Amino acid sequence: MALAKIRAGMGDVDSESVEVWSDEDEARATGLLQLLGPDGRLVGAPPKLEPALLRELHRGMLRARVLDEKMLLLQRQGRIAFYAEARGQEAAVIGAIAALESNDYVVPAHRELGAALYRGLPIANVVAQLYGNAHDVARGRQMPVHLATPRALRFIPPSSCVATQLPHAAGLAWAAKMRRDPVVVLAYLGEGATSAEDFHAGVNFAAVYRAPCVFLCENNQWAISTPASRQTASRTFAIKALAYGMPGVRVDGNDVLAVHATVREAAARARVGGGPTLIEAVTYRLGAHSSSDDPHRYRSEADEASWKGKDPLERFSIWLAATGTLDAAGAAAQRAAVEAEIAAAVEAEEGIGPPPLRSLIENVFAQPPAALEEQLADLERVRASAPASHDADR
Amino acid sequence: MIYEFRLPDIGEGVVEGEVVRWLVKEGDPLRMDQPMVEIMTDKATVEIPAPRAGRVGKRMFAEGQLCPVGKVLITIELADEGAAEGSRGGSPSRNAAEGGAHAGTGTRPAGPATSVAPLAGRGTAPLSPAARARALGPVLATPATRKLARDLGVDLRGVFGTGPAARITSDDVRNHAGGGRGAGAAPPPISIAREPGDVAIPFRGLRRRIAENMARSKHAAAHFLYVEEVDCTELVALRAQVNVRLAKDAPGRKITFLPFIVKATAQALLVFPQLNAALDEAAGEIVQRKHVHMGLATATAAGLVVPVVRDADTLSVAALGKEIDRLAEATRSGKATREELSGSTFTITSLGQLGGVLAAPIINHPEVAILGVHKIAKRPAVRDGAIVVRDLMNLSISVDHRVVDGYDAARFVAAIKEALEAPAGLWQEQAPRKA
Repeated sequence: MALAKIRAGMGDVDSESVEVWSDEDEARATGLLQLLGPDGRLVGAPPKLEPALLRELHRGMLRARVLDEKMLLLQRQGRIAFYAEARGQEAAVIGAIAALESNDYVVPAHRELGAALYRGLPIANVVAQLYGNAHDVARGRQMPVHLATPRALRFIPPSSCVATQLPHAAGLAWAAKMRRDPVVVLAYLGEGATSAEDFHAGVNFAAVYRAPCVFLCENNQWAISTPASRQTASRTFAIKALAYGMPGVRVDGNDVLAVHATVREAAARARVGGGPTLIEAVTYRLGAHSSSDDPHRYRSEADEASWKGKDPLERFSIWLAATGTLDAAGAAAQRAAVEAEIAAAVEAEEGIGPPPLRSLIENVFAQPPAALEEQLADLERVRASAPASHDADR
Repeated sequence: MIYEFRLPDIGEGVVEGEVVRWLVKEGDPLRMDQPMVEIMTDKATVEIPAPRAGRVGKRMFAEGQLCPVGKVLITIELADEGAAEGSRGGSPSRNAAEGGAHAGTGTRPAGPATSVAPLAGRGTAPLSPAARARALGPVLATPATRKLARDLGVDLRGVFGTGPAARITSDDVRNHAGGGRGAGAAPPPISIAREPGDVAIPFRGLRRRIAENMARSKHAAAHFLYVEEVDCTELVALRAQVNVRLAKDAPGRKITFLPFIVKATAQALLVFPQLNAALDEAAGEIVQRKHVHMGLATATAAGLVVPVVRDADTLSVAALGKEIDRLAEATRSGKATREELSGSTFTITSLGQLGGVLAAPIINHPEVAILGVHKIAKRPAVRDGAIVVRDLMNLSISVDHRVVDGYDAARFVAAIKEALEAPAGLWQEQAPRKA
């Protein structure tokens, strides 16, 4: 009796086994759900989505794409230190976040800047973080792209450590369940993360506790230089879900309609106590792992070319134009607006300059201790006597 | 106004980048974000886009050259509008003349690429390093080896790796650095202090070649020394008989012990071809020689030289004696031909009358073994449980243990020992005459 109460307090552990491994489940975990073919033609049931939402999906993907293009140029010009693109993965990133409610939590991996923008984060915040300037919430302390967002956005800061976000996501979801808060947690991960121990910890925990979690695995074929074929001996990444006792779905990650539909279904099930889902979005990282990486050292240009033909943004544009949802002129206007928006953000943030030197000792202690104040005074003295050396470092 | 674009750290901690290919020429109009140059760092090969619009001023580094991070890579003549803007990530030149003699006009015609000639001293490779890297695949080396390569100025992509999976070792880098420095594999030059009365002899010619050969051999071959004692009592007696007979035919004519030793060694080499061999490191092959050409290390006034008895296995001891005498005379008088002083497949070193007891001879690289012959002296020996006086001689053999196993070296010397201890067979054997 007492035990049952405690268990209930922990969030209703359902100890009865979950029946998921039917032939149909296996087919979903090993097949490939596709609604929109690479040529932009509908191959599945037409989506029941409002035209405004469809245009918003397109704009979200476009903002991610143009942001990547422009930020990579800034990095090569030495204006920002580092960048990691999501080029090629926009359908998975945007299709997933668009399927959530605005108060659902998002636990990103490394390439979800576009999802943060979709949530409403101003582009200027992203640019400020990349410059590490005085406007940056973390005041230049974090590596570029690893941005902190306002708490209200419910968008957790990404960590460079692979798969550590998955136990966080399971914990967030479990906490929500205990609070009887009907929110869902969307956790992004790469296929490389499935080889890390935290994948097991997070996914297994979420399954055991039926935490309202959607794990979206962006299988972009490459974990830096490790190909997906070296990542697992399982038939697919999605089929791992069945062993954990949750549904696994394999979906065309370059098909924004398929991703959106799949995540929406998984989120709806999670919201009513149905537990987590692992979705494998099969996609491709068209760019390098990061601005410090050269993919031609480990993969062929033919490989890249074959995936360029499956570009998620292009196929969606074709379909939107064909259905009259967004014609070429509309798409061009959307692109011009996004480019202007990003250019304005860069112009505004580039001149802001670094956070004040004093910020070095702030934000850790409520009242900076005397020793730190002393060190800061020393630093300011040295800097005042040799201003040139600081400039030379720029 | 001139904008100086300094090479940024484009890969989390790179210190320099190699200019792989220029995509713009001096004087070209330049759009914002237009690709200017392909730069290869140790992490990636990337295109650098223009940070400002305007016109290409000066390309400060030629293709194939290394541009350190923070150095001006290219100057851009800014359009008037750009000139008014502040700059970040690069810096407008305080003195426009620094960037070139054409400041301010913006209408200078396209200059030829050769205008960077003063900086192009190091020259460019016919195949770009990026292309080489793509052709050869990635380089395997530990960070310590990479650091060493940077310190020695060695491009790892040109180094042959001898470690597992063709991994480049630190020794490979050092060898490469040594071999790449001029003609010889000389170590870094060392200066020494002089005192009054010291004599300085030019280190060149034969002495220099000897030094290089010895150093190369000691550096490359894994020297393994093996010493055996040979009872030459019967050989001494036989030689005395032979000399009595020779003196009858031609007064003053004598045979030394060396022809017997050469004969015994040449015969043993036919049985152990692994010692009559050379290591072709470039081809990755051990080459076992068809012929036995016996090199005889010989002291001359100028230094050590090695005359060669060709097809020593086919000559009788008497014929060997004549040939050795002829070669020794030709060598000492400086009349030996180049052919007579090269082409050995195995070498014997003998100090003649001095002989010594033991030596650790240096292999005549790239051969794989050298036999040292020592003094024959009357020493006590135990025979049938009694101490008797015998004529004993030591043989020292150095083999390249990379190629020749110690056991084979021992068996080889045992075969020589056996032949020398029963020398009648050596003397009687009538080898086929050379054509």
